[in-house]
Amino acid sequence: MASFTPYAYIQCPCVDSVPGSRSPDGASTPTSHSSPEDDERDFDPRSPRSNYSLYPIEYMLYCEDCHTVRCERCVTEEVVTLYCPSCLFEVGNSSVKTEGNRCTRSCFQCPICIGPLSVQSLESTPAAPEPSLLSADHATATGPAGPWILCCSYCNWNSSEIGVKFDKPQGIFAQLSKLRSGYDNHHSRYTSSGDGDTYPTKRDADGEPGSTKARFASLKSFYQTQMSNENPNSGLGSTMDYGYGSPGALSRIMSLYSGNTLSSAKPKSKPTIMREADTTKEGLFPAKLDDTSVMSGLRSAGYDGTATRAQVNVQVEEGARFATDLWPIPYVLRTKRTKRCPSCRHILSKPEAKVSNTRWRMRLIAGNYIPSITIKPLIPVGAPGGPTTHLLTPVKPVQYLLTFKNPIFETIKVTLATPAVTPGRFASKVTLLCPQFQIGANSDDYNLDEVLKDRDKDPQRKRSDTTGQQVEAGKEWDSGRNWVSVVVEVVPSSIQIEPKPTILKKLGEVDDLGPLREDEDIVEIPIFVHLEWEASADQVTGKDREDKETKEKKELAYWCALGIGRISPE
Amino acid sequence: MSTNTGPALAHRTVSSIRAAREVSPNSPHTPIRSLSSGQISSPSSLRADDDVLVIELGCRRLRVGFAGDPVPKRIVSFEGKQARRAGDFRAWEAGYEDDWRKRASGQAWGWEQQLWQLDVRGQDLGLVGDKIERGLREALVKYLLIDSKPRKMVLVLPPAIQIPILSSVLDTLFNRFGTPTISLVSSPVMTAFAAGVRSALVVDIGWHETVITAVCEYREVHTWRTIRAGKLLIEKTKNFLVEAIEGRPTPEGEDEQAPDDVVRFEECEEVATRILWCKKAHNPPSQEFPEGLPTLHEQDESEPVDPAEDTTPTRIHLTSCNPPRTLLIPFSRLSEPCETTFFETRYSPACFDDHEFPLHLLVYRSLLQLPLDVRAMCMSRVIFTGGCSAIPGLKGRIFDEVSLLAQERGWDPIRGKGVEAYKKNPKLQRTNTPPKQVNTDGSSTSIPVVAQQQQQQTPTITETTPAGGTTISDTSSPPPTAVINPADVPRQPDQVEDHIRQEKGYKPPIRGILRAIDSMGPWCGASLASQLKIPALAVVEKDLWAQQGVNGASKPSEIDVQAIQKSQRQSMGAGGLMRGSQMSSWTLGVWSTV
Ligand SMILES: [Zn+2]
Ligand SMILES: [Zn+2]
Ligand SMILES: [Zn+2]
Ligand SMILES: [Zn+2]
Repeated sequence: MASFTPYAYIQCPCVDSVPGSRSPDGASTPTSHSSPEDDERDFDPRSPRSNYSLYPIEYMLYCEDCHTVRCERCVTEEVVTLYCPSCLFEVGNSSVKTEGNRCTRSCFQCPICIGPLSVQSLESTPAAPEPSLLSADHATATGPAGPWILCCSYCNWNSSEIGVKFDKPQGIFAQLSKLRSGYDNHHSRYTSSGDGDTYPTKRDADGEPGSTKARFASLKSFYQTQMSNENPNSGLGSTMDYGYGSPGALSRIMSLYSGNTLSSAKPKSKPTIMREADTTKEGLFPAKLDDTSVMSGLRSAGYDGTATRAQVNVQVEEGARFATDLWPIPYVLRTKRTKRCPSCRHILSKPEAKVSNTRWRMRLIAGNYIPSITIKPLIPVGAPGGPTTHLLTPVKPVQYLLTFKNPIFETIKVTLATPAVTPGRFASKVTLLCPQFQIGANSDDYNLDEVLKDRDKDPQRKRSDTTGQQVEAGKEWDSGRNWVSVVVEVVPSSIQIEPKPTILKKLGEVDDLGPLREDEDIVEIPIFVHLEWEASADQVTGKDREDKETKEKKELAYWCALGIGRISPE
Repeated sequence: MSTNTGPALAHRTVSSIRAAREVSPNSPHTPIRSLSSGQISSPSSLRADDDVLVIELGCRRLRVGFAGDPVPKRIVSFEGKQARRAGDFRAWEAGYEDDWRKRASGQAWGWEQQLWQLDVRGQDLGLVGDKIERGLREALVKYLLIDSKPRKMVLVLPPAIQIPILSSVLDTLFNRFGTPTISLVSSPVMTAFAAGVRSALVVDIGWHETVITAVCEYREVHTWRTIRAGKLLIEKTKNFLVEAIEGRPTPEGEDEQAPDDVVRFEECEEVATRILWCKKAHNPPSQEFPEGLPTLHEQDESEPVDPAEDTTPTRIHLTSCNPPRTLLIPFSRLSEPCETTFFETRYSPACFDDHEFPLHLLVYRSLLQLPLDVRAMCMSRVIFTGGCSAIPGLKGRIFDEVSLLAQERGWDPIRGKGVEAYKKNPKLQRTNTPPKQVNTDGSSTSIPVVAQQQQQQTPTITETTPAGGTTISDTSSPPPTAVINPADVPRQPDQVEDHIRQEKGYKPPIRGILRAIDSMGPWCGASLASQLKIPALAVVEKDLWAQQGVNGASKPSEIDVQAIQKSQRQSMGAGGLMRGSQMSSWTLGVWSTV
């Protein structure tokens, strides 16, 4: 709590384009120093919703054609590469549909601690827990003989604890699926025990369709049979032949039992009734009402023998109760994605297709297009005349420097606006001393002297000799080739929770005397940033700018939330 | 930042990709509209056409997956970490968990973990949309591994979801995911579908409420609700744990709320889901009642002590209390929170308000209130679902209690002899008092009746149905047995049925006996139904939603009978309509009346 790093978050303008939030026109633009009462649309970074639209600039992309920032919510994505994060094996796009979203080789996570599991020979395990974290498919073939188990080198869990051993060290996924379906048939919570089966139809002798997959399949084939009985000519068993408009199938499955619907005349003429599933083979299962075995399990395993919610949540299937119900978790595949601007379709970000190459073929990050904002106290903590603590003292004015740095090769005109007090229960006063300024263009045709001169003026290096400078309203504090620093003065509110004086209350306003909420003691300033610059229409950069034929005026506006510091409770 | 290739390189790449521009039919200045409508040709577009996403909406979690899969690919739960800003990694820092009191302060208990509150008033509906959007996006990107091409969606809705919430959800799905159409299906109906039956009494022991829905022929006939559900259980668990920590028992019968800052919500839920169990009925149903007896059959000899007598201390280590401590709680006492949450047998039924009826009484009452032939079907198809139904012993307990009530108070004979009894003495049916309207019991009128079009087909039922509607409010003075009617009433002879009888392997459906069956759950049902191309209750199209929003939906009652007849064929049930191409109006199905 002692240190606090000031931060700047950007609200992606795409919040405005969704109904239910703010209006899509620029109506939310406040004029300089407008008070929140004047404009209901003022942005409140404290509202729970703002957490879903605020991003650090590093998280944002930029579309050069639309001249706007893009967040994860307002880009369209395409999958470039699918791969397993453990063995880095590339997976075809089509096989995700058939094989599922997990690695089907031998990559598993520990069901207890989600650490990576490695395949080891059962005999060698107690002696040498070799942490071969890579896929078991690379395991040595010359090594010890089976049986094989999956082991966790972090928590020492191994699959023999749930009675799972493998014949071969490769293709664990397939072996495990086989074991698992067999296991479910014997221990399933879905199959009822023989004695408790009050259900008239006994299970079929040839295998117990207990697993979720098997149940789903039997139910599906039951419905398919029922639907196709109606119309045997339209292709037995193939559901795809029944579109929405296939009256036979639909009326069969939908029609009323007694046939006295509104449209009773028609269905009655046909045998339209689909019967219900009747046996486990058809997918009907009696409820397992007797939990005696679960109860004795609870008594013997105790609280610690049950699976934690976190462990249950990462399992592939729902329903694990005891630690012994937990199965190794095959790694979920990952994707590399191309991101496009949703309106102009241009690519904003494109990774290298190869799994092993972590670079980007292109990536238009917002930081290369819009000014970055850095925040620091005008007088550093501990400096003479400066604050002695990182906490802000209530009611005592404090000045901060906002430094805007221009990354583009054009001059940017910046207009800032902020409400006079921060929104929320603890209203701190905010004054922007210089709400309008220009930042010089960035350039790549550096002249060394200029760079050196600029470095002397770099805000980082100035702090000691600027303490004597007078803060003046309407004036920039300092500036360099492509950066400008302006001062914002904050009078932090007290964070004592007390009723508001009646005189300040609006009609019908009720005091919120709840305890201090998380981060409510942070002075967070909503600031509206409006940028204007000229861009050449045909996107030429650098030296060709001399031509100057087609310059277009561009603008971009967005809200920011600037975290200044925490208010001291006293 | 290290991966940044800089603007100069970017420019070159853009120009080489420029060709893509012609494909776009969109004007570049309407970002969101075009978010969804544009088509991109990408490798993954090959399978996008047949990918239908099935989303089950719940207050605590979303189940997301592809239609045709037996299980969802991802179950999204809502928690504090999910609600943080991008780039805020404090949740992963050491000591974060210990700070829970600070984060929870000033918030309602469990506020972060639920998507919406029971009382929709004063709720930020935009926030509901934001949470769903973030959770769903993560599921699609990290677990379903799909691109952002618009896909059709099937939305499984809990019974009686409030319209403002539904509206916010639809806004999010249309505007943020650009889905072209959303099919709305009912969770109880899908639960029945996933059990292989057409009618059922679905007892959904969920988060805010337990909702009992009578489903008849894939239609929601009626719902009943009580707050005895997950949320109350967590609160009772909190009280229980605080009591154990502070070592002072709450006086019997006192409903004192323990403070919120002793044990963390997450830890109470952890205890509740992992170790709580439910006692058996005090006096189990008698032996002459073989159908509903599964719990009596298995007295395991290896189990010398009944769990209710087992005082062996169970160690529960709690980390969120200050200081962390290990409680030693006798196993027998771990059934207490369930007892007070779901049953509350200390009190007589008359003490309960309608919204807090104990579960077993509500199940019994809902069966009683159903028309006889619907009851006959539903009582043989009781399905327990919802998160709390996994508590060991709970399903069996409710079932046994209902059996007991039935035994004591009637709807005799319940062993399927109703047919014979009726056939022998049809007068029994006619001489009885006229059916007591369900809503003469003042309480029931407030329960949303979801069977709008049902009226048209119920005449036959009411004709042949004698007094079946004895309500639970009468239970202080049980009606004389003579008045009680068979649960099972034969239907009138029917050519349709005759026809089916001739089908191979026909068996009459089981009716009139109490029977509980298992369902694979609503998500699975919707996945299966969608794969089998069974139409939904209502289909909402993006363009119409954009134009009209929720106000554009017609109330089903406003649609004329002609239209209903036309669309009947395409609807899952008469209660909900599908927007057929020939119709200009569309509905939100049964939900528009709530
Ligand atoms: Zn955005
Ligand atoms: Zn792998
Ligand atoms: Zn481990
Ligand atoms: Zn663009």
